[in-house]
Amino acid sequence: MIEVEALTKRFVDRDAVSNVSFFVPEGEVLGFLGPNGAGKTTTMRMITGFLPATSGSVRVAGLDLARDPLGVRSRIGYLPENVALYPEMRVEEYLRFRAAIEGVPRKDVAARVDETCERTMIGDVRRQLIGTLSKGYRQRVGLAATLVHKPPVLILDEPTVGLDPRQIVKIRELIVELGRDHTVILSTHILPEVEQVCRRVLIIDDGKLVADGTPEQLRHGFAGAAEVVTQLDAPEGEARAALEKLPGASAVRSAGSGRFHVSVEGGADLRRAVFSLAVEKGWVLLELSQTAPSLEDTFLRLTTRDAAEHEAAEEVANA
Amino acid sequence: MRKSLALVQRELVAYFSSPLAYVVLTAFLFFNGYVFWLITNFLNDPRTQAMAPLKLMFGGTIFFWLFLLFVVPVITMRLLAEERRTGTLEVLLTAPVSEGQVVIAKFIAAFIFYVFLWLPTVVYVIILGSYSSIDPYPVAAGYLGIALLGVLFTAVGLLTSALTRNQIVAAIFAFAVLVVLFSIGLLEQLATGPALKSALGYMNLWDHMDDFSRGLVDTRHVVYDISLAGLFLFLATKALAAKKWR
Repeated sequence: MIEVEALTKRFVDRDAVSNVSFFVPEGEVLGFLGPNGAGKTTTMRMITGFLPATSGSVRVAGLDLARDPLGVRSRIGYLPENVALYPEMRVEEYLRFRAAIEGVPRKDVAARVDETCERTMIGDVRRQLIGTLSKGYRQRVGLAATLVHKPPVLILDEPTVGLDPRQIVKIRELIVELGRDHTVILSTHILPEVEQVCRRVLIIDDGKLVADGTPEQLRHGFAGAAEVVTQLDAPEGEARAALEKLPGASAVRSAGSGRFHVSVEGGADLRRAVFSLAVEKGWVLLELSQTAPSLEDTFLRLTTRDAAEHEAAEEVANA
Repeated sequence: MRKSLALVQRELVAYFSSPLAYVVLTAFLFFNGYVFWLITNFLNDPRTQAMAPLKLMFGGTIFFWLFLLFVVPVITMRLLAEERRTGTLEVLLTAPVSEGQVVIAKFIAAFIFYVFLWLPTVVYVIILGSYSSIDPYPVAAGYLGIALLGVLFTAVGLLTSALTRNQIVAAIFAFAVLVVLFSIGLLEQLATGPALKSALGYMNLWDHMDDFSRGLVDTRHVVYDISLAGLFLFLATKALAAKKWR
């Protein structure tokens, strides 16, 4: 549905996006992850045709953006990052306006507006001026406006920023629902959001694509070590040495009072080995758990800028 | 077509829901009323020679120009600068409408507002008509001249509004350009050389209005206003397409 090939955007002194290629099949909900300033918004703006690309091509529904920009635009519903609306218009009036400029046939407009209002739960503010709405409502009005012409492709740039937790849950549910009959690109830096909503994830960092796969694949493929946390009633030094000798254990970190974090290579489950060790040595086992590698780990490993910050934060925590 | 209509309609909603529109309308009415009073007083003076009273209304005084040079930038400053500032431009330019369509729609809306501004002055014509006979053709030509000036000035304002995200900057810039456009023709008197003199004379907006208010529709004036307006609108479209600096 969306084919992006070797897309590059060069600003005066640096590449904001360099050589990004990906393909989104019809009906997929794609999560577009990356730290702030990684090039998410720039990439989305190039797909929607708002920013001209320095090089590379974009095809949406088989249409080339460079050849048929209006055709591509009419197939995309785009929700920009800071949902910009006209404060002096009423919600309904705005939706009718958007429907008209998107080319919805006149006779269908009323029905579409009704349908979209219901879907985005803004029926109770239809007659209200947009300028008087709360942030949550405004976000939903923005979303409604991107849906009103039923575009096959939705591009949503951080749709849940600035919402309260209840609203976030509702918007996510809505996006999942939309994913059934739309192809969606969802940009965000909220990781749980991606795991809940997206079937596939792209991670972009410093303008380059660094990962592409299902959340599952990314967790295991890139995150590396899982961790076993255990607490043993045992002499510190001896326990540590014994844990380090376990097959598969790559690093052991002591957290004090007999508590250890054992990093495991290759995702092996070390819990049985730790239990056997405790039994063998006659140590009392107070705690034993395995933490699966999280998407967060992958994200932090792959995105350099934040990784540095993460390490710094960890050092502070360990000190 | 329907898309353009929707754009124009939205723009008109924006005009008439902002307090600025009413401030401008009120100021314009007040100002024009004052000028009308001045003119009738002047004409009532027995020492004044007989002349067409509406000639004074339509560009015959400096008041007309001063106010026009101020008011058009105020009408146009918001058009694109505000869209750029708030980010609604992103929505507009990712919808299936072209930059040209957006520019034309904004231009038409601003021009409609400009016409709306002048509409009440028809009352003056009716008042004068009830006291003396009025030749309708110079009046019609005078309004045509005002409309053409509106086309030209609005196009300038739209261009400067496309160049910045700050309304005030857009207004001041438009005012500066309009002052140049207006005063360049006045240099005619200072020009040496016949070629320069006739070139500057061609651009003399005061003379244009003077001709129109005498009932003289000179196609050269029409061509000048329309073609220059076309150029500015074209530049505004290009400025809108080059969004790289945002």
